[in-house]
Amino acid sequence: MFSDLSAQRDGSSLLRRPASEEQGPVFERSPPDYSLCTARYSVGERSFSRQYAHIYAARLMEMRPLLSDKAKHKWGPDVRIRKLCDLETGEQCCIVGTLFKRMDLQPSILKEISEEHNLLPQPARTKYITEADELVLEDELQRIKLEGKIDRDKCVTGSVIAIYGAEKNDGKFTVEDFCTAGLPSQTPRPALSSDKFVLLASGLGLGSSRADSMLGLQLLVDMVTGQLGDEGEQGGAATISRVLLAGNLLSQSTQDKDASTKPKYLTKKTQAGTVDAIRLLDEMLLQLVASVPVDVMPGQYDPTNYTLPQQPLHRCMFPLSSAYPTLQLVSNPYGATIDGVRFLGTSGQNVCDIRKYSSMESHLEILEETLGLRHLAPTAPDTLGCYPFYHRDPFILEECPHVYFSGNAPAFGSKLVAGSDGQEVLLVTVPDFSSTQTACLVNLRTLQCEPVSFSAFSADEDEESEMNISH
Amino acid sequence: MTTKRGLITDSFKVAKKSKKREKQEKSPTPTPSQQDAATAEEEMRKLKQFDLDWRFGPCTGISRLQRWERAKSHGLDPPEEIRELLLETPAYPEYSLSLWSDYPF
Repeated sequence: MFSDLSAQRDGSSLLRRPASEEQGPVFERSPPDYSLCTARYSVGERSFSRQYAHIYAARLMEMRPLLSDKAKHKWGPDVRIRKLCDLETGEQCCIVGTLFKRMDLQPSILKEISEEHNLLPQPARTKYITEADELVLEDELQRIKLEGKIDRDKCVTGSVIAIYGAEKNDGKFTVEDFCTAGLPSQTPRPALSSDKFVLLASGLGLGSSRADSMLGLQLLVDMVTGQLGDEGEQGGAATISRVLLAGNLLSQSTQDKDASTKPKYLTKKTQAGTVDAIRLLDEMLLQLVASVPVDVMPGQYDPTNYTLPQQPLHRCMFPLSSAYPTLQLVSNPYGATIDGVRFLGTSGQNVCDIRKYSSMESHLEILEETLGLRHLAPTAPDTLGCYPFYHRDPFILEECPHVYFSGNAPAFGSKLVAGSDGQEVLLVTVPDFSSTQTACLVNLRTLQCEPVSFSAFSADEDEESEMNISH
Repeated sequence: MTTKRGLITDSFKVAKKSKKREKQEKSPTPTPSQQDAATAEEEMRKLKQFDLDWRFGPCTGISRLQRWERAKSHGLDPPEEIRELLLETPAYPEYSLSLWSDYPF
């Protein structure tokens, strides 16, 4: 992308004498107009003495009016919207409720305890769905089994939907059609006069035993800070107005279980694997924050709380880079408005979890599905760790983002989705950097996204061994 | 002597006396306390009724006021009377916490 810029100029600025003896040209990076909207993802008091019934109740309370409107819009204004307790056999009606998928393969701690037959622990699977799964719809009081025109494998527990159909004599509800809440309303995005970019990267995977990702990472840092390429590319790098690191800054291998299984006297003097990795991260962030504002989101393997919403990493872990006001440590579902463009996204736990419990494979497809459900993480708290909220469900989307992303995907993907009310959303799956050496650039003016690859001397792919930015 | 020492009532004399005093104080004025008791019972009944109203969501683990405010913020019209009652009454757990607060889950 920036190579295009440099090609337009007459020749490269590298293979010639410096223009003057003094300092070279200066490319000013204009800071974006930025406001963080993560207040709803901060957990104030931490009380874990509640059951998760509250979050489901709050979710249904909030979604019910939305879905009733959608149902009236879809099936006519005089469609009968019933509670399950008022349901009569054979009557065509609409029901709003929370889906529950009963899955035989779903890991259950109770099952493991109760079956005292010295069973082997269930093997970790990539998918936990089977043919015997059953879909159930719950409202405040009752539940009913579903059948008919609803894709059982695609649905996930916790999504609030409206179904249309009738109850049959056998007590099951035959679904003829269903609808989801759809995209919320969107504030229009201002027209920008020039191209501005936000760089998204995730899964830096520091502290892993494989060191081959380090060169790519250093190239990424050099590219952003303008120390790579000729003047054209440096000028292009100056249009990157913000960097967003979407989780898994540390590698999974830093989470060794040794410390908890080995006796204390053996591990007393060993240092946790995360210590070195965080130091490395601090040094890398230092190079970045000296030049560009950086948002750092925690991910699954980062040293913060495990349950969503993950709270920001603590400043004290970054003694070098936290001195800069450009370093911003943010929570895991992350929302911000950058130059009027609303960003919303996660480090990818929600998408990975839905992938395990549904037939959907592609991260992009799942991302689109959650947008349609108007919920960031429907499977929380069922199979995804989540704080027991009681007052509201913070994962319900109140405002439609312009850029909706999830991190740590196996591959880069992007898609422009148009809503029914003229909403325009760019979906981005940010690839895992340590395995793909790819980050992505979002153009705030055109809302386009492209991958930036830093494959450095990879042995298997010769074509991509050019060390520079390729598309 | 030994048998007297062994009596439990010996060691709890003070408590017993104070209870007796309370009873003595209460007995000459029966009407206002009975009225108080009646209103308190009525208040308690309303609060328990509020706890058992399924429309406002689960009631365990959170205070009654928190539950009331959640229902209000989701537009479910919880009775205003309950809120006034909860704000007026002293912060005893039997008022502020739900019916099932004594049961661990």
